[in-house]
Amino acid sequence: MSATAESPTPRQRLARCLAPQRHWLRGALLLALSGAVLLVAQSWLMAALFSYWLLAWQGLAPAEAPAAWWLPALAACLALRPLLHAGREALSRRASRDARAALRRTLLERLGALGPARRRYGSDGALGAKVLEQVDALDGYIARYRVQSRLAVLVPLLLGGMVALHSPLAAGLMLLTAPLVPLFMVLVGRAAAGASRRQLETLARLGGHFLDLARGMGTLQRLGATAQAGRRIAAASEAYRGRTMGVLRLAFLSSAVLEFFSALAIALVALYLGLGLLGILPWAKGEVPVIYQSALFILLLAPEFYAPLRQLGADYHARAEAEGAMDELAPLLDATPWRPEARRAPALGASPPRLDCRELALFGDGGRCRLAPLTLSLAPGERLLVQGESGSGKSSLLEALLGFSPYAGSLRVDGVELAELDRQAWHRRLGYLGQQPPVLRGSVADNLRLAAPAAGDAELVAVLERVELWPLLAKRQGLATVLGERGRGLSGGQLQRLALAQLLLSEAPLWLFDEPTAHLDPDAAQRLHGLIERLSRGRSVLLVSHEADGLDWVDRRLALAAPAAARDPSAAFDLPAAALDTAAAAPAVAAPAVATHRQETPACQS
Amino acid sequence: MSELKPAIRLVDLLRLRRGGWALAFTIGAATLLAVVALLAISGWFITAAAAAGVATVALLGFDYFRPAALIRLCAIVRTAGRYGERLASHHAALGLLKDLRCRLFDALGRRAPSAARPGPGSAAAMHRLVTDIDQLDRFALSALLPWAWAGLLSLVVMGLLAWLDLTLLLVALPGLLLAWLGLPLLTLWQGSRLARRDAALAEARREALVEPLSAITPLLLWGRWGQMQREVVGRDERCLANQERQQRLASLVGALQQGALGLAIVAVLWWGAPLLLAPEAADSRLTVALLLAAVLALLGLGEILAPLAGSFVSLGASLAARDRLNALVAGTPGEPASAWAPAEVGGEAGGELKAEAPAAPWSLELSGVGARLPGALNGPEGVSFTLAGGEVLCLSGPSGCGKSTLLQVLAGELAPSAGECRLNGRPLEAWRLDETIGYLPQQWDLFDMSLAANLRLGDAGASDEALWALLDELALGDWARALPRGLDTPLGEYGAAVSGGQARRIALARLLLARRPVLLLDEPLAGLDAATRARVVECLLRRQGQGLLVVASHVPLGAAAQARAGRVRMLRLGEEGETLP
Repeated sequence: MSATAESPTPRQRLARCLAPQRHWLRGALLLALSGAVLLVAQSWLMAALFSYWLLAWQGLAPAEAPAAWWLPALAACLALRPLLHAGREALSRRASRDARAALRRTLLERLGALGPARRRYGSDGALGAKVLEQVDALDGYIARYRVQSRLAVLVPLLLGGMVALHSPLAAGLMLLTAPLVPLFMVLVGRAAAGASRRQLETLARLGGHFLDLARGMGTLQRLGATAQAGRRIAAASEAYRGRTMGVLRLAFLSSAVLEFFSALAIALVALYLGLGLLGILPWAKGEVPVIYQSALFILLLAPEFYAPLRQLGADYHARAEAEGAMDELAPLLDATPWRPEARRAPALGASPPRLDCRELALFGDGGRCRLAPLTLSLAPGERLLVQGESGSGKSSLLEALLGFSPYAGSLRVDGVELAELDRQAWHRRLGYLGQQPPVLRGSVADNLRLAAPAAGDAELVAVLERVELWPLLAKRQGLATVLGERGRGLSGGQLQRLALAQLLLSEAPLWLFDEPTAHLDPDAAQRLHGLIERLSRGRSVLLVSHEADGLDWVDRRLALAAPAAARDPSAAFDLPAAALDTAAAAPAVAAPAVATHRQETPACQS
Repeated sequence: MSELKPAIRLVDLLRLRRGGWALAFTIGAATLLAVVALLAISGWFITAAAAAGVATVALLGFDYFRPAALIRLCAIVRTAGRYGERLASHHAALGLLKDLRCRLFDALGRRAPSAARPGPGSAAAMHRLVTDIDQLDRFALSALLPWAWAGLLSLVVMGLLAWLDLTLLLVALPGLLLAWLGLPLLTLWQGSRLARRDAALAEARREALVEPLSAITPLLLWGRWGQMQREVVGRDERCLANQERQQRLASLVGALQQGALGLAIVAVLWWGAPLLLAPEAADSRLTVALLLAAVLALLGLGEILAPLAGSFVSLGASLAARDRLNALVAGTPGEPASAWAPAEVGGEAGGELKAEAPAAPWSLELSGVGARLPGALNGPEGVSFTLAGGEVLCLSGPSGCGKSTLLQVLAGELAPSAGECRLNGRPLEAWRLDETIGYLPQQWDLFDMSLAANLRLGDAGASDEALWALLDELALGDWARALPRGLDTPLGEYGAAVSGGQARRIALARLLLARRPVLLLDEPLAGLDAATRARVVECLLRRQGQGLLVVASHVPLGAAAQARAGRVRMLRLGEEGETLP
C-alpha cells in the first residue's frame, strides 16, 4: 500500500484516485478533440464560401462553385460542436462524481477502522469537513482542469499545424507566442495562487471575527455593546477589502496576460493578412503572400488557438485547490488501522472476562510512547478506576482494550491474546461510554434501539426506570420523546443516563468508561457515579476519570504516570519495566487500593 | 410595520454599491464590445483588402490606417478592459460584503436576547451565516452582470444586422432570441429551484455524517457504523444527484444556445449570399466584407451568451442564501422574536417610548413564578420571594432544578408560564431594562480581541486604571500583569487562551464595568478555589451597594456573605420542578 517508503505527492495521489475513471476522461478528451476537428472543418467551409462569394460579388468567375452541401455541412458543424462539448462535460462530470464517491467511501471505511483512534487525525468537525468539503474540492480538477490541461497542448498544435499549411509565418507567429502563455501563467499564476490562498485565509479570519461576535450577540446585547461591535466589524471588513484588492490586482494579472496574448495575436495576424492582401507588406511589396480564402481560414482559427489556454488559465486554481485538498486528506488516507488476522473466535460468555496485561505498551507516530509498559489484571466482576494526568495514556489504554490500537507486550482476554480474537465478537462483549453520549437526533426509543434493535417497548421502559429517566420522560411523550441535535431537550447528566440505558440494553459484561462525567456539573457527576455503581454490579468495569468524588465504591484504583519523552521504536522494548507488581501495578506510583466493596449509594453532599 | 421588512432584498444588493456595479458594467461592456469588434473588424479588413486587391491600392488609396488602428485599439481595450472590469466588480463585491455584514449584524442585534433561541448548539447555523453572506455576491457577479452585458451586446449585434439589411435581422432573429432570452429564461425557474435545494441537501449530508461520527466507538461496538455509513453515502448520492441535475441542465441549455446561435449564423449566410449577389443589390449597403463582419460578430456573441446558461445556479444560490439570512434575522419560524409578547406590540420604534427606566430604591417581588425553556422537560415552579435593595439572594439546589431558567425569567429573556415578577412594584415588561439589568448567564462569550477590548465592551470609556482596579478586585491582576502584553494580550478565538475560571471572572468584570444596579449572576463562582471565591464575593458585595444581587450557585457564598447576615437570603429550588419553601 501507500504508507511504505515515502509518502506520494498530492499529484500522484490524484492520479491514483483518478485511475479507475480514466476511460471517462479519455472519452471526454476524445470528444473535445473531435470538436476541435469540427472547428477546423467549420472554418474551412466558411472561408471557402466567403472566398466564392467575394469573387462572385466582384463579378469574377470563381474557380469552383460551392457544392450544394457546403452550407448544410456548415450548419451541421455549428450544431454538432456544442453537442460534443456537452458530451465532454457529461463524461467529465461522471468521472468526478464517481471518483469523489469512491474516495468518500474509502474515507468512511477508514474512519470505521480507526474508531476511537480517529482523534489523532483531527476533531470530529475537522474530519467531517475532510470527508465532505475536501473531497468535493477535487471536483474542479477532475471535471475541468484534467482534460483541459491536455487540450491546451493538443488543440494549439492541431490548429497551428492547420495554419502552417496555409501560412508558415502566421503559424510561427501564433506558435511563438503560445509557449509564452503557459510560462506567464506559471509565473503569475504561482504568485497569484499563493496570494489567493492568503486571501482565503484572511477571508476565513474575517468570517471568524464576524462569527465570533455574532455568536456572542446575546452577551453583547446584555452589555449594550452591539454598536461598538458593529463598528469593529465595519473596520475589519474595510481592512480586509483593502488587503484583498492588493492581492487581486496581482491575481488578475495572470488572466490579463492571457488576454493580452490572445488579443495581440489576433490583431497581428489580421494586420499581417490584411496588409498582405493589399500587397504592402514591407518585405513583400506588390505580392499577396496568403490568398483570401487561406487568410480568412487563419483568422477564424486564431481566437480558437488561444481559447483552450485561456480556459486553462481560468481553471488553474482548481489544480491548486485539489492538491491542497489531497494534502489535507493524506494523513487519513495513509493511516494504517490496526486490523490483525483473527485466528480464534472466543467462547462467547455472558460472564465478565478476565483481563491480563503484561508489559502492555503503546506507541504513537514516530515511536512516541503513549502508554508506558503496564502490567495489570482485572478479575471478572472487578471494578477499577484509572486515574492520571493528561498524556499518561488513559485513553490509549482504552483504545487498546477496544482493539483499535497495535500494542507491545501482551493483552490477554480469558487467556487468549487480544490480537487473535475476532474483533466483532470481542466488541459484542464491550460496553463503552465516553464524554459524549452516543445520542443521535431522533426519538428516545430510536436511540435505545441503536444498542438493541430487537428490544421491545417494555424492555426499554424497564431500563429507563433503572437509570431514573422514566419519570421524567413519562411526563413528555415517553419513548417517543424526540431529541434534537446533540440530544437537545435533555441535560448533560440526563443524556449520560440515557447512554447508561443503552449500555444496559447491550448486555455487555465488560464496561469501559472514558471520563463519562467530564462535561457534567458536580451534582450530576455524583449522581451518574452512583448510578454506575448500582448498575454495574456483576460486571467488570474499567473507569477512566479525573474525578474521584462519588467513586469510593471501586475495588481498586490505578494511577498512571506520563510516559518518558519520545522514544525510538527500536528501543521500545527496552523501556524500564517500572515498579510492577501483578496485583495493583502502574509504571510509577499506584494509589493504595481502596477496597470498600459494594458500598451503598454515596450519600449526596448538599 | 418596519419589522416585517426583510433584512436583505435582492434590490439592496445592487443599490448598496450602485456606483461600483455601474463602473464594472461600463468597463465590462466596453471590453466585450472590443472582443466582438476585434473579430468583426479584422474580418471586414481582410475581406475589404482582398476586394481592393494589390493593383488598386496605389490608385484608389485604400485607407488601411484607420482599420489597422481600430484593430490595435480593440486589442488594447480588450486586454485593459478585462483587467479593469474584474478589479471594479470585485471592488464592488467586497464593498457589498462589508455592507451586508454590518447590516446583518445590526439586524441580529435588534432581536431581543431570548432563551427561546437555540444557543451555541446552532454553531452550524451561525457558520452558514458567514458562507451565506459570501454567496450573495454571486447574484451581481455571476447572475446580473452577465445578463446585462449579454443584453447590451445582443442589441448591438442586432442593430448591426438591421443597419446592413432589415431582412437580415429578421432571419437571424429566431435563433438569436432563442439563444439570448428563450433558452436561458426557460431554465431560470427550474434551475434556480434545483440550486435552492443544494444547501439543504448538503446540510442533511453533514448531519448524517457528523452526529454518528462523534459516537463512532459505541456504534462500532453495536455493529451500527456500517448502517450509518450507508446513510451518509445515500445522502451524498442525493446531494451529488441534485448537483448533477443542475450541471446537466446548464450544459444542455448551453449546447442548445450555441446551436441556436449557429442557426442564426446559417440563416444570415443563407439569406445574405443571394442578397449580395442579386443585381438589384448593387447600391445596397451590404458588402461581402460587412456580411463577414456580421457573421463574426454573431460568432463572438457565443462567448458572451454562454454564462447565461448557468446563471440560474448563482441566482438560486443567492436566493436561498437571502431567504436563510432573512429567516435567521426574523427568528426561527414559529418562535416569537422576543420572549416578552407585550414588548413586541410596541414594535421597534415603540421601544423607545415604551417605558422609563426604573430607579432606586430597588425591590423585586416574585409570586408563584413558574417557567420552562422550550423543549425542556422541567423548570422552576411556584417560586415566590421579595428582595429589597442591598439584599442578596442566593439560589441553590441540584442541577436541573431550574436556577438558570429562573434567572432568565428575571433577566426578561424568558416569559414566565405562571405567576408574576414585579420590579419596583411594576411588572418587568413595563420597564425599560436595558441599562438596569446585568445578567451573566452560564453561557457567556469572550471575544477574539484583546483583554482590554473585551472588558471595554462593558464600558467603552473605561480607563486603564479602572480596568486594573477591577481586575485586582477579582484576583486577576497578578495574572494579567504576567501576560506578555498585559491588557493588550489577545484572548484568542472564543477566549481559548484563558482558563475557565479566569474567563468567567473576565466576563464578570466586563459586566461590573457596565454598572448595572440589578445583577443576575449564574454560577459566577464555578471553578474557583476558596480563596479566590472569597475575593470575588467580597468584590460583588462591595460593588452591589443598594442594588439587587441574585446569584445562582451550587457552592456557598462563604464567610463574606455570612458577615452580612440578614441581608443575604437563601432560596433552595427542588429538583425537577418542585419548589421548596
